[in-house]
Amino acid sequence: MTPLLASVLGIVAVLGLYLATISSRHAQEPGDFVDAGQALPPWVIIFAGAGVTLASLGLPDHLRLLSTFGLQYNQVAVGLICVALAAAITQKRIWLAARLTSLRTLGDLLGDYFGSTTLRIYMLFVLFLFSIPFAAMCLSQAGALVSAATANDIPSGLAIWSIAFALFLCSVIGGWRAIAYFVAAQSLLILALIVFFGGFMGFAIDKLAFAATGIGTTGGVLPDKIPGVIQFSAGIGKELPAGGLWTTFAGLTFALSLGGIAISPGFSFLGVTSAPRRGFAFGQVWMIAGLAAGALMLVGPVLAAEISAAGSLTAFTARLATLDPMVAVGFTVLLVASGQIAVAFFAGSGASVCTIELTSRYVIPGMDGRASRFAARVTLALVYGAVAAVASFAPLSATIFSSLTLSLSMQLLPAVLGLCWVRWISRSGVLAGLIVGSLCVMFTESFGLVLFERLFVDLPWGRWPLTVHSAGWGLATNFAACLLVSLFTRAGSERDRRDRLHDAFAEGQRARNGGQAATTAKWSLTLLWAFLALGPGAILGNSFFSEPVFAGTVVAPGVPSLLIWQVLFWFVGVFIVWWLAYRGRLSVIDEFPRHKIVLVPDINPLFEPITTPWIARLLDRVTGR
Amino acid sequence: MTPLGKNEALDRHALVMACWLAAALPAAILFDYGFGQGGAPYVLSGFAAVLAGFVAHVIVNVVYGTGFSPRELGLGLVIYGFALVLFVILSLVSAPFAARNFVPVSIGFIATGAVIVFYLITRFGARQAFDAFDVIRDFRAGDRDPTSPAGDDR
Repeated sequence: MTPLLASVLGIVAVLGLYLATISSRHAQEPGDFVDAGQALPPWVIIFAGAGVTLASLGLPDHLRLLSTFGLQYNQVAVGLICVALAAAITQKRIWLAARLTSLRTLGDLLGDYFGSTTLRIYMLFVLFLFSIPFAAMCLSQAGALVSAATANDIPSGLAIWSIAFALFLCSVIGGWRAIAYFVAAQSLLILALIVFFGGFMGFAIDKLAFAATGIGTTGGVLPDKIPGVIQFSAGIGKELPAGGLWTTFAGLTFALSLGGIAISPGFSFLGVTSAPRRGFAFGQVWMIAGLAAGALMLVGPVLAAEISAAGSLTAFTARLATLDPMVAVGFTVLLVASGQIAVAFFAGSGASVCTIELTSRYVIPGMDGRASRFAARVTLALVYGAVAAVASFAPLSATIFSSLTLSLSMQLLPAVLGLCWVRWISRSGVLAGLIVGSLCVMFTESFGLVLFERLFVDLPWGRWPLTVHSAGWGLATNFAACLLVSLFTRAGSERDRRDRLHDAFAEGQRARNGGQAATTAKWSLTLLWAFLALGPGAILGNSFFSEPVFAGTVVAPGVPSLLIWQVLFWFVGVFIVWWLAYRGRLSVIDEFPRHKIVLVPDINPLFEPITTPWIARLLDRVTGR
Repeated sequence: MTPLGKNEALDRHALVMACWLAAALPAAILFDYGFGQGGAPYVLSGFAAVLAGFVAHVIVNVVYGTGFSPRELGLGLVIYGFALVLFVILSLVSAPFAARNFVPVSIGFIATGAVIVFYLITRFGARQAFDAFDVIRDFRAGDRDPTSPAGDDR
């Protein structure tokens, strides 16, 4: 199987190099290397959005956790609709704000809109987490998969450096456009392979484990039921929840953390550098909420049951190899490609955003196109070198750091909502919320817990206490602090620039919601859906279809009641995203901005320091005499 | 049909490559498994995957308002011809292969050809589709009037 797998991965790499070469030849300006001339085609957004979502979830991890926890973990697939919802709420407005202000990254937008350097630094920190530890974790998994599939004929280290080198070569030759093409092409490949394996397993394997015995969980984990609305356990590492970890609150808060993908620096950069009209809506509704969530929800349990029956992912791949080596190669390519998407996308977008936000703003201001391209290439080399080194030599650290990534990214939600919709959310509110929220995330994730307990004393709680994900803890406190502080500071001195942007939104792109009643109906339905699909109401799904309340009997629907519940609310979720994105015009760009606005004067605070008012007054008093 | 801009042509080409990548790997798996223990249904499914790639290519053409480029046509014909010749040779030299796979592979090749002809007829109409392959008339027209473009004998 080793030569076959190496050949197929080699073909994919050659395709990437080809795309990079033609992108490089067709580049019109050297500066296009960094942002593709802000003209990526809609199909890239459509496919790459879904692929990046699946890759961020981590397909190998998802299948392993599904085989460990059964259908209670399948709630995460329903949670992918939250990514689509978050993208529907923010993506178009971020794109518009970027076009209105001629800024190219979310960090620049937030920094200028709120007038805060702290927010810029926070964004760069989140960008760093995505670009290095998160990408390194995905690369490390890809290397381990190749190594396991080839029985260590290709050692993990060799696989890691080979994949990193191939992806680096594609990125450094073709720039952001080539990265986006390659990510989109691989996204289409993994979507096709997930659907393919769903069908193939059904026909090629005699007795599907899922149909015969269900997902074989161990250690008292309920295979086809959610273990309660919430469990008052101290958290992972201190006390194990009975029946499994994935209560409705765990599912809901994990789904919230997935929203962090949609507002991550890389994902928003992908949106900003595109030239779509209907690409956003199509990608959110049909690809993320529809195909990605649906395929994962329906095919995931079938594969997980086989993995559980085989004992491990490696054993399952070996079993596929006995069926036909090419089948095993296809399955390995599916998992490795998901890792490659994450690495290429987050490392590539990280290098581009870093060049724009850090290098060309602070380090070498006023760079021309050629210098920007060179800076981006140097950054790419540094990022890929760091990613490969961390993946090879410190995979555990990468995993610990990357566990913070999505949760910390989600803490930007109040700031992004402020930028896109809520003009009275103030800088002080956002910063207060970020501080409190990030602290809560740190102290409910392994990173903060390990650090604090090593340095000081044991804490009474572990990771995700009360079966609430760290993103949930962070967001609850973040929103509370942000709203409270914003109430008192909403009319601060920076209100004028916030109004300028929102007035420009209101002029050109007013969302046509069809009146107050329709707006209320849409958002009420969305909240009701969230309550029943992911929130406490999802507990009804445990027995809703197998023990109907009013029938008083037990029926056998053929598949677990919970799966039917999940499929039902997946359908409803797709409908809601469609309603918001298309009918609510949240993701349809009707007309391009007609004029530009300036949020702040173009001043580099490092080289042209702004004199603070009290110093200016003092100087004026001295020099005026 | 308006000619595509530089970026649009690149976008279209990359999308076509992406579509064929997504169709080719499942097709390869199905063919490999079909020629092994899977049998005829999987071989036919492999051809179905190839046809799905072709349909995706046609959809891309419609979206971008273009047709197949000469290079794409050439590559497609070479691959189809090469696969056909390989199949004939394998059928002649390997009796077990012929006994097991002759019918499904023949059906697959015929179906692929039929889909392409169907596409040509619906896209260009029967007469224009035939004209495109009427090489003899092109030669004659060329003999009569060397200055006129190929295929224009009115």
